[in-house]
Amino acid sequence: MLKEMAAPEKTAPCSSAGLSNYFSADHPDEDKWADCVHCGMCLEACPTYLETGQEQHSPRGRVHLIKSVAEGKIQLKEQFADPVFQCLDCRACTTACPADVDVGGLIEEARGQVRQAMPLKGWKGAVSTFFLKGLFPHQERMHTVSGLLKFYQKSGLQKAVRTIGALKVMPDHLASMESIMPELQTPVQKKYKDVDVIPTKGVPKARVSMLTGCIMDVMFGDINQSTIDVLTHNDNEVTIPKKQTCCGALHVHAGDREKGRKLAKQNIEAFENSEKVVVNAAGCGCALKEYPELFKDEPQWKERAEVFAEKVEDISKYLYDTGYEKPRSSLNKKITYHDACHLAHGQGVRHEPRQLLKDIPGVEYTELSNADTCCGSAGIYNITNPEMAEAVLDRKMENVPEDVEMISMGNPGCMLQMAMGVRKYGRKSEIVHTVQLLDWAYQKDEQNAGLEKSIAVAGEEEA
Amino acid sequence: MFGSKKRKKPQRDPHINKLIEIVGEKEVLYEDADLLSYDCDGFTVHKAMPKAVVFPANTEEVAAIVRYCSTNNIPFLARGAGTGLSGGAIPLNREVIISLVKMKHLLSVDYENRQAVVQPGFVNLKLTNSISDKGYYYAPDPSSQYVCTIGGNVAENAGGAHCLKYGVTTNHILGLEVVLPNGEIIEISEAGVPDSPGYDVMGLLTGSEGTLGVVTKITVRILKNPEGKQTVLAYFDHIEDGSRAVSDIISAGIVPAALEMMDKTAIEGVEAGAYPVGHPDDIEALLLIEVDGIKAGISEQIEEILNVCRGRNVREVKVAESEEERGRWWANRKTGFGAMGAISPDYLVQDGVIPRSRLPEVLENIYEISRESGLRIANIFHAGDGNLHPLILFDSRKPGETEKALKAGTACLKACSDVGGSITGEHGVGIEKKEEMRFVFTDEELEAQIKIREVFNPDDLLNKGKLFPTPSRCMDVKKIVKDTVAVQ
Repeated sequence: MLKEMAAPEKTAPCSSAGLSNYFSADHPDEDKWADCVHCGMCLEACPTYLETGQEQHSPRGRVHLIKSVAEGKIQLKEQFADPVFQCLDCRACTTACPADVDVGGLIEEARGQVRQAMPLKGWKGAVSTFFLKGLFPHQERMHTVSGLLKFYQKSGLQKAVRTIGALKVMPDHLASMESIMPELQTPVQKKYKDVDVIPTKGVPKARVSMLTGCIMDVMFGDINQSTIDVLTHNDNEVTIPKKQTCCGALHVHAGDREKGRKLAKQNIEAFENSEKVVVNAAGCGCALKEYPELFKDEPQWKERAEVFAEKVEDISKYLYDTGYEKPRSSLNKKITYHDACHLAHGQGVRHEPRQLLKDIPGVEYTELSNADTCCGSAGIYNITNPEMAEAVLDRKMENVPEDVEMISMGNPGCMLQMAMGVRKYGRKSEIVHTVQLLDWAYQKDEQNAGLEKSIAVAGEEEA
Repeated sequence: MFGSKKRKKPQRDPHINKLIEIVGEKEVLYEDADLLSYDCDGFTVHKAMPKAVVFPANTEEVAAIVRYCSTNNIPFLARGAGTGLSGGAIPLNREVIISLVKMKHLLSVDYENRQAVVQPGFVNLKLTNSISDKGYYYAPDPSSQYVCTIGGNVAENAGGAHCLKYGVTTNHILGLEVVLPNGEIIEISEAGVPDSPGYDVMGLLTGSEGTLGVVTKITVRILKNPEGKQTVLAYFDHIEDGSRAVSDIISAGIVPAALEMMDKTAIEGVEAGAYPVGHPDDIEALLLIEVDGIKAGISEQIEEILNVCRGRNVREVKVAESEEERGRWWANRKTGFGAMGAISPDYLVQDGVIPRSRLPEVLENIYEISRESGLRIANIFHAGDGNLHPLILFDSRKPGETEKALKAGTACLKACSDVGGSITGEHGVGIEKKEEMRFVFTDEELEAQIKIREVFNPDDLLNKGKLFPTPSRCMDVKKIVKDTVAVQ
């Protein structure tokens, strides 16, 4: 034993001898890892590295492992799958990386390979199949769920369940998710079912199409409504193409690239005639912009995906770029902003939503320290990796000042996760979407205008 | 035993069990797939697997691990963030790696006496970030300061862009707690009082590249932020003009806080990376110069620097107009090494030091080495203190290129030592430059240093095979690499 240890390990230069342990279809892209020189500048940006201190759970460690599978040093097995799936896919490393290594892209390709080699089993498999295959891609089922959830809330059943503690039989993290379920509104998909173009009040300056998102539309129908109202308020006609479906982000994150491609194709077709695709969920927006990544082996679709990706824009950036009316009414709130990973790191949108907030009179804006650190939501990560998700959330909450009244952000997953954080720490802060604040300020403007008008009318009558 | 065809699950190594007893199950990695990420640090030319990686939480655990390894004759080494560029944390002898990243706390700050106490895994830049609201900072600023640990900085005696004026790590260390290779815990200058009598043991340990002990606590000097600061960017059409300007600035009696240079290939790299500034692509060199200190004198110094640059035919020279602009210039410079990934799959960075006045001829020699080897070499370096960083760009996937790059690296160091310089300014010797130690030391001088190591580390269990050439054992690592490259 000691003899063996005394002999120096034969050192070898790093070189990749083909892609030996990968399946040939849709394998991780060698050029992507060739950009990584192992400098380590990504380490402190990575939430899972900060939590574990272990390099296999760091971006450069993961890239090293992904490369090692190609070099035949390790297999597509559990110990490779673990670091690759422990990644939050938050993309903070791509911001930190001096060489612009596409770690996110590599991780997703690697996940595709892992799922080919070892399909999900057990409850994780069941959850994944239920949400990703059975539910999200099917609008009508989502609406049914929405209806059921609403019934659950309105019927008093929710209250009953919470009171009698039936939640205690659910796994902890699912129970705490239930506890922050928002009050549900009608999904806009359903509401505008028979409307082709939602008109502006004045002369339209542009026409945009909206991706409604699946979680966004079911859980946060009011945010979608706010998005429509803010767009039309600023003279943008809105269409909601009927054929659109789930963006596929969660499928691609989970390694189901085949399903991801199917959904991508459907969306590319659904928005073929749109000039602009406006999205209010950062995760969805980022996924849409990355559709070309999915079609390495289908050049025709790749081309269409590239044209499509060019049209996609986050709502805050769209408003910022095309101009928006600054509200006149004050909200008088102390507000901070949390960068959704897929907005800041994924799409480079940081300044625009902050500016929207600062343009609302009465907003006392406080910058959050480490605002662009992941909250741990990460798609369905908080369901599949609850412990890590909670640790990451704890770190996030440490930075939220106690006295902020509202935490604004641009992604539904973050909103649910941050709501759990606020609840866990007994805070009072409300979780809001940036576009909602603008909408509320506009609504106040209208009320005030109405009031002024009636005062004016009354005044005239008196005279 | 015999006859039984059923394979039993292999028994866990008893040494691993013992390490788990010390730090707990979760804090020991020992399976191959987990260890793979520890087969190299920022120096990727050599790779070797450790026996295990352990994550102690405090000095006592470090001491217990060290004691166990040393009584059982198990090689071991300490590792921080693993950003070192000379291979100091690569386990050549199947070492137990003691990762100090979980000992990452700022223990105390004493503003009155201007000192702070940190654990070795505390990240360099975090110290400045933690004290900046009080107007203080920690001066040594290696380019990897966003992630590298102060423990690692002590081991390598790390430098950085601003060390021209303020000195390198050793000038900022006031006290150390160290676990010696036999497991004994010692304190050097515990109270942080400078100039203690007797030999300068702290100076000896700082920069000993992890061969004399494992540092577990560090008292560092912190400085008050300078009252004023200005930054200049100068573009030159000819590299020689840029190099001459460097010497001129220093001979004019100015001591800039930083005086950095990049050549054409380096500029191509940083502009292709994540933090481009928009440097012109047709210049041969740029200088990034920073002056700080009492507000009153700064504009005069800047004026003088501008004049020097004009005297050397500068194409364009400008002063940063905002903190934001200054920040962009520095981010572009500080992420320079990593940015080379955008123009080359691999690089090897060298770290030679030369007398400033010889800069033009040494750079010309480096370009000659580049032409001869057929490999591109980018230069991005601390020109003010003559600390060169030739980055040799290569592709390890191409047969023979790794060997060529190593050869070119050695040639660059030779070019430095030939003009009376040295083979390392701040990256350390590690594995990378141990053979080149012969360029600057005779056999007797090397032997004398090895005797010092033996006082602390008599069995050579701690970070074996680093820092000094090992002729007697015929295990020249570079030779092994050459062999493996030749086989492929």
